Amino acid sequence: MLTVTDIRKSFGSLRALDGVSLEVRRGEVLGLLGPNGAGKSTALAVCTGQVAPDSGSVSIGDAGSPRDPAARRLVGLAPQQIALYADLTARENLVFLARIHEVPEPSRRADALLDMVGLLPRARDRVGTFSGGMQRRLNLAAALVHEPPLLLLDEPTAGVDPQSRSAILDVVQGLAERGHAVLYTTHYMDEAQRICSRVAIVDHGRVLETGTVDSLRAAHGGDLEAAFLALTGRSLRD
Amino acid sequence: MIRQATVLAMKDLRLLLRDRAAAFFTFVFPLAIALFFGYVFSGTTSEPLKVVAFVERPSPQAEAFLKALGDDGGFSLTVVADRPAGELAVRRGQAAAMVVVPESYAEGLDSVFSGGGAEISLVVDPSRRAEGAMLVGKIHEVAFRTVFSSMSDPEQFGRMLDRAEKSLEASDLPLTDRIAVRTALARARAMSSKPREGAAAGGSEGGLAGWRPVKVSVGELEMQPGIPANSFAISFTQGLAWALFGAVLAFGSGIAEERQRGTLVRLLVSPMRPVTILVGKALGCFVACLATEWLLVLVGVAFFGVRVSSWPLLALCSAATAFGFCGVMMMLAGGFRTQGGAQGAGRAVLLVLTMVGGGTVPLVFMPPFLRLASNASPFKWAVLVAEGCTWRSWGMAELWLPLAALVAVGAAGLAIGAVMVRRAL
Repeated sequence: MLTVTDIRKSFGSLRALDGVSLEVRRGEVLGLLGPNGAGKSTALAVCTGQVAPDSGSVSIGDAGSPRDPAARRLVGLAPQQIALYADLTARENLVFLARIHEVPEPSRRADALLDMVGLLPRARDRVGTFSGGMQRRLNLAAALVHEPPLLLLDEPTAGVDPQSRSAILDVVQGLAERGHAVLYTTHYMDEAQRICSRVAIVDHGRVLETGTVDSLRAAHGGDLEAAFLALTGRSLRD
Repeated sequence: MIRQATVLAMKDLRLLLRDRAAAFFTFVFPLAIALFFGYVFSGTTSEPLKVVAFVERPSPQAEAFLKALGDDGGFSLTVVADRPAGELAVRRGQAAAMVVVPESYAEGLDSVFSGGGAEISLVVDPSRRAEGAMLVGKIHEVAFRTVFSSMSDPEQFGRMLDRAEKSLEASDLPLTDRIAVRTALARARAMSSKPREGAAAGGSEGGLAGWRPVKVSVGELEMQPGIPANSFAISFTQGLAWALFGAVLAFGSGIAEERQRGTLVRLLVSPMRPVTILVGKALGCFVACLATEWLLVLVGVAFFGVRVSSWPLLALCSAATAFGFCGVMMMLAGGFRTQGGAQGAGRAVLLVLTMVGGGTVPLVFMPPFLRLASNASPFKWAVLVAEGCTWRSWGMAELWLPLAALVAVGAAGLAIGAVMVRRAL
């Protein structure tokens, strides 16, 4: 569903991506793990067409480059930052996004999504009144309004309580089971162990290793965190 | 593209209405400015109501009526030499209304019992209808008193009865009715020689309740091309500058706000092309400008005597104004990446342009050098076309230049702003 081939991107003298190649297939969750500044968010920005790579290519399904609106119809993005209108209600946010994506029956779709993320009882409340966890769940729902086959989730559980986190992970797992392809960035190793079919560990703009959780554990000994630290080192990152 | 742009514009308008401060400065503040300056310039105070009077032909009856009106205490009455002087005083807000005592007033009073009657006309400032209505009541009251007072004058009352008797002879009333009326008139003539106590002050009206000896016809001050009908005609166009200021400021920081909020990423990742986002933002601003312009006009027309000389031209001018200010908004949106930057710089620049463009000192009161400087402000052109469609009563021959200026500002602003915004997206 998503094929990233040897993309490179520099911002001035900073090389953010240095030959990244990835593939995300339907029905799988690919975890993109890496320390801060490893290039995860830049990789997602290239995959959504927000940033043009200096070289290399990104292809989404049969539609090609994400710079093409037809390809972007296939992508759902949950940005790391909560990207919602605080002065609109939960339902208004989803209905607006559904209309932008020209989804038929936007209100019905919005209610179905609100039900899925457990926010239907708060559908008429303004997002500004929501807790962090509720906003995160709605942020995920907003990525799903047009039922995209490819989901790009950028740290979707950052700063939420265990209940919301568990609910979000259940939703992501359910989406993968229904055939969606999910690229999932996170700092939480336990999350990756729980929901990712495969993980790619990146650092300094490069993919250091890709494989299943079990294969990484077997290769580096211990758990996924031990494998991660073995690959990325223990030095502190800014 | 249009459908998505409309969805985007609707969302922005909804957000504008939800943001109390932005909604206040876009819709309420301009109205408050218009009312404030309108009242300041109109001279409306808690002092006695200022009224001017013009007597078409002096007579003792007219003099008595004006004296009674002047003595009432609720008014400050000034007699003017001619009708235009009175109208000018009303137009300038120096008086709420002009009382016109017509040439036929004295004869009219003599025939109150014979089917005729006196008439007083009132010319009221359209924005002061309530005070005009109060004045009508007072005129009836004063007229009633003066008519009764005239009955205490045997000579004048005798003339009234003479006219009534003549009128009776000429009528085709049945004989029995004629005899009855003639008897009543004879009794009245006999009583006139010994008037009752208190008759001069109105006394007991008894069965005369509802009978009015003077007919008061009320007319509103006619609009004259080139002369504002009242102070609100100027203050409402002045308010327009602030309405546009609010709308542009609210939308000018919209793209920066979307960026800071993170929602711009969602819009860019959607199937919309960046140009659709720009069209949506411009459309929202266009609708907000139109809405606030029409709110001002409709409130002014409905309650403050603002007159529109041509509704079709007003529709055209308001659309051109909204278009022009979409361009201003787009320049603002393109120039700044942060919401704070767009709002701060927007306030500073727009405030100066608004003030120079007629937002504080109305264009008509500006000294020549300031009027020349105001040409650089798009607000001046917006105020000018609004004045053109209201009290200036302009046609296309006079309107084309400010309209062209607004369209040029809009087109240039949208083109330059769009390039700047696209670079920043």
